Amino acid sequence: MEGKRKREKIEKIIRAEDEWEPIGHTPMPHVTDLRNWDRRLLQTYKPFYAPFCDLCCLCTYGKCDLTGTNRGACGIDISSQQARIVTLACCMGMSAHAGHAAHIIDYLIEKHGEDYPIDLGDQVNVECPNIRTVLGLKPETLGDLRKAIEYCSEQLVHIVSSTHTGQEGDPVDYESKALHISMLDHVSMEAADVAQIVGFKFPTSVADTPIVDMGWGAVDKSKPVILVVGHNPACSTEVIDYLRKEGLEDKVEVCGICCTALETTRYSDKAKIVGPLSRQLFFLRTGIADVIVSDEQCIRTDLTDEASKVGSVVIASSDKACRGLEEVSDRPTDEVVKEMVDNGKHFLILDHVKAAEVAVKAVLQLAPKRKKELIDENKAKELAQSCKECNSCEQVCPNLLPLSSAIKKVAEGDFEEFRSCFERCIGCGKCEEACPQDVPIFKLMQAVASWDTWKCRVGRGPVMDTEIRKVGAPLVLGTIPGVVAFVGCSNFPEEIDELAEIVEEFARRKYIVVLTGCSAMVIGMRKDAEGKTLYEKYPPEFDAGCIVNIGSCVSNAHITGAAMKIANIFANLPLRANYEVIADYVLNRVGACGVAWGAMSQKAASIATGCNRLGIPVVLGPHSSKYRRLYLSRKEEDDWTVMDGRKKELVDTQEPSPEHLAYVVESKERAMVTIAKFCIRKNDTPQGRQIKLNHYIDLHKRLLGALPDDLPLFVRTERDIPMFFKKEVRQYLQEKGWEPKPVLSLPTFIGTYPTKVPLDAVIK
Amino acid sequence: MAHPYHLVNILTGTKGAAEMKDAKPLAKIITKSARPLLVVGPRTLSFQLNEKLLIEYVIEIAKVGNIPICATAHTNKKFLELGVTPDTTYDVIEITNHLKDPEWKGVRGEGNHDLVVFVGFRTDLGNQALSTLKHYAPHLNTMTLCKFYYPNATFSLPNFRKDEEWKALLEGIIEGLK
Ligand code: SF4
Ligand code: SF4
Ligand code: SF4
Repeated sequence: MEGKRKREKIEKIIRAEDEWEPIGHTPMPHVTDLRNWDRRLLQTYKPFYAPFCDLCCLCTYGKCDLTGTNRGACGIDISSQQARIVTLACCMGMSAHAGHAAHIIDYLIEKHGEDYPIDLGDQVNVECPNIRTVLGLKPETLGDLRKAIEYCSEQLVHIVSSTHTGQEGDPVDYESKALHISMLDHVSMEAADVAQIVGFKFPTSVADTPIVDMGWGAVDKSKPVILVVGHNPACSTEVIDYLRKEGLEDKVEVCGICCTALETTRYSDKAKIVGPLSRQLFFLRTGIADVIVSDEQCIRTDLTDEASKVGSVVIASSDKACRGLEEVSDRPTDEVVKEMVDNGKHFLILDHVKAAEVAVKAVLQLAPKRKKELIDENKAKELAQSCKECNSCEQVCPNLLPLSSAIKKVAEGDFEEFRSCFERCIGCGKCEEACPQDVPIFKLMQAVASWDTWKCRVGRGPVMDTEIRKVGAPLVLGTIPGVVAFVGCSNFPEEIDELAEIVEEFARRKYIVVLTGCSAMVIGMRKDAEGKTLYEKYPPEFDAGCIVNIGSCVSNAHITGAAMKIANIFANLPLRANYEVIADYVLNRVGACGVAWGAMSQKAASIATGCNRLGIPVVLGPHSSKYRRLYLSRKEEDDWTVMDGRKKELVDTQEPSPEHLAYVVESKERAMVTIAKFCIRKNDTPQGRQIKLNHYIDLHKRLLGALPDDLPLFVRTERDIPMFFKKEVRQYLQEKGWEPKPVLSLPTFIGTYPTKVPLDAVIK
Repeated sequence: MAHPYHLVNILTGTKGAAEMKDAKPLAKIITKSARPLLVVGPRTLSFQLNEKLLIEYVIEIAKVGNIPICATAHTNKKFLELGVTPDTTYDVIEITNHLKDPEWKGVRGEGNHDLVVFVGFRTDLGNQALSTLKHYAPHLNTMTLCKFYYPNATFSLPNFRKDEEWKALLEGIIEGLK
């Protein structure tokens, strides 16, 4: 229960007296404040568990076998245990972003002061839709962003504590906690990215950001090379600053892997993106990098060992990944550089200015000593001779690649199968470790890797308010069939080709396509017959038929933010502390769908779960079944009754839209069909529905060979039937005994579950 | 599966698939079940056994055993090309979600299935779907026909090193179902 003092505190933080919008029902919501919304969501989209492990080993009562109806010594059952682990994963993911945000905000406050203003340019007035909607605060300064992170951190403590032995005992309540912390993940990401944009002057209020070179082949090996790895650009921007100050920007190559690469190109278009996470180990082992500056998240934990093997040196720069190294911020720079150059020592340097100076000074001395030997096909053939085709490598490959036969063929001089393995390799290094013959599998990859230069568009940050104004109506009416967001890592199962193909399919079909993180990189790694990448072929606006690189992992908040802005700018709904109303709007009226095809980390779990709470369904790749939990409906059996907000009456729509909230598919074909279906919303006008069904039917027929089984569920009246398929669909509906369904004007969940939000709140 | 004596302290799990190396008992399990179901994944389109694709063996099994087919992923298209109309095109997660429910009417509306035969999935996804059924569907048994051991199934083939052994087993099942 919220007390008077607590309320006063909240009002102070959000400056309740500022009257930019009325304050909604849930300013700075506590763990259980949105519990009823979650329960309503999960009544339709029930948690589906695929336990990854039958046991619990979290305390010394156990291990406990939770198979089937067994309970742990503490009384927990298998469903609650799965939900508990999911909650923990979401906490890890959210804390990675909140930790990043806290660090970057403090760092920038040191530089610019607490009152440094948030100004995202003349095209972005709704600067932080997540913070506005969740907290009720309109952040004006870096200090305000810190307030948001302080609130998120407090909530995190409550939620992590609920995973202790003998706390929560109900799966839906755990899920509600996972949803809560994941909503706050988007708040944290937003705070981090907005701080970066203003603090580092990253591009904002512009769509046409520069196109930069990408790929290990794009790195100029004749220069000294600094590689930045991770997600936090504090140190990499200092490196660029130092190079600029010393007039060395053209003399030293700065390249990056994973999100720090994306961030660094937002700071300097001279920086290069080596590639996504899956190329980290491959690139490290080429030894091309003379100095590696690591920051946080998704950095190989054996980075220093790997670097030592090829004569690279590491500067760890984050308190979250100290890697057992000596901290030398207080030691004289020249002394530190000397030890790095002479003895190959790695160091922890938490002072970023110092780290940058050391990195540059060291790289200038190390580069001339670099012994880079990349192998060619002849050498690869020779090295593969010792392969005994024992299968040990392929048995440990998480992407199930047929390595054994591929390597045998390399020994015979046939590289095709191995090349295809490399294209799909997620870079874990397990194969080489498992090989009893010590075949240097990663070295062999050098012979088949393409040394081409690819292109990536620089991440542009928030979607502009003007763009939202333009696409708001067509999106809500359905005439732009949807926004499809490709997020997260790109690893599984077929990486580049598959993702690029899906992306282009939806851009061609005039969906709005947005990307972040490693997914945003890999689609630039495929060229058409004329040598053009998707970024060069499709315009960068947030509009039908365009492809937008939003930015890094933390830029994911701008995708949920864009959905919120549609409710706000187009539909005039107030955001302020109004989460339920906004989420309800997005779920029922905004045809958006997330795709995390190669998702790997805990961050992906919280990003996706945060989208789910806001009513955005997410399609996941096959290995994501290892996340253990999905949110599914059963389209034929479930109750699809919603409120008609205008008529104020319950309507049994019989329409499963969106059908699921978190869903795994196995093949790209099924993914495309599913994405098209997940963009269908109850709010679609007949014209909009025709367009959406046209894509769904067309894709289904092409990829699955027939009309969809569930088509009758998505045709409300004759007017929904796409012109092009009219005859065929009519006949099909007749065979299936289809009957027209009730139409409604303003679909909403409000009024169908206990909430303080009045029905009128959804109408503007 | 062998269990340690002191179950709680050093356990790794208590329920694992029976490894089935011979066709006969497998065919018998299928024949004895009242309402079997074949759930077919996309790897049936890429596994080649001599001249035939795995999906062709699956079709044989379905025909001789009169077993309904659930065509997951994009397998429906190939089934149609081969002249077979699957009973349903639920994807693997959807069919698993339905199978969990003992009251579900099954793909032919005759009641939920008592034996579900999985074939042609990525092992990670396949074993996860089987995990759901292992934990939440005590009313049915599961079987896998891929050449890999699936610990979460009730009955699984072993890891076959040679495709000939696998092929012989599949042919044995077809024979046994006749
Ligand atoms: S937390 Fe519960 S289920 Fe887990 S080991 Fe302890 S007693 Fe067993
Ligand atoms: S490094 Fe690549 S090929 Fe080797 S096991 Fe990992 S994913 Fe498979
Ligand atoms: S583990 Fe080594 S020897 Fe065995 S198949 Fe793979 S590369 Fe060949």
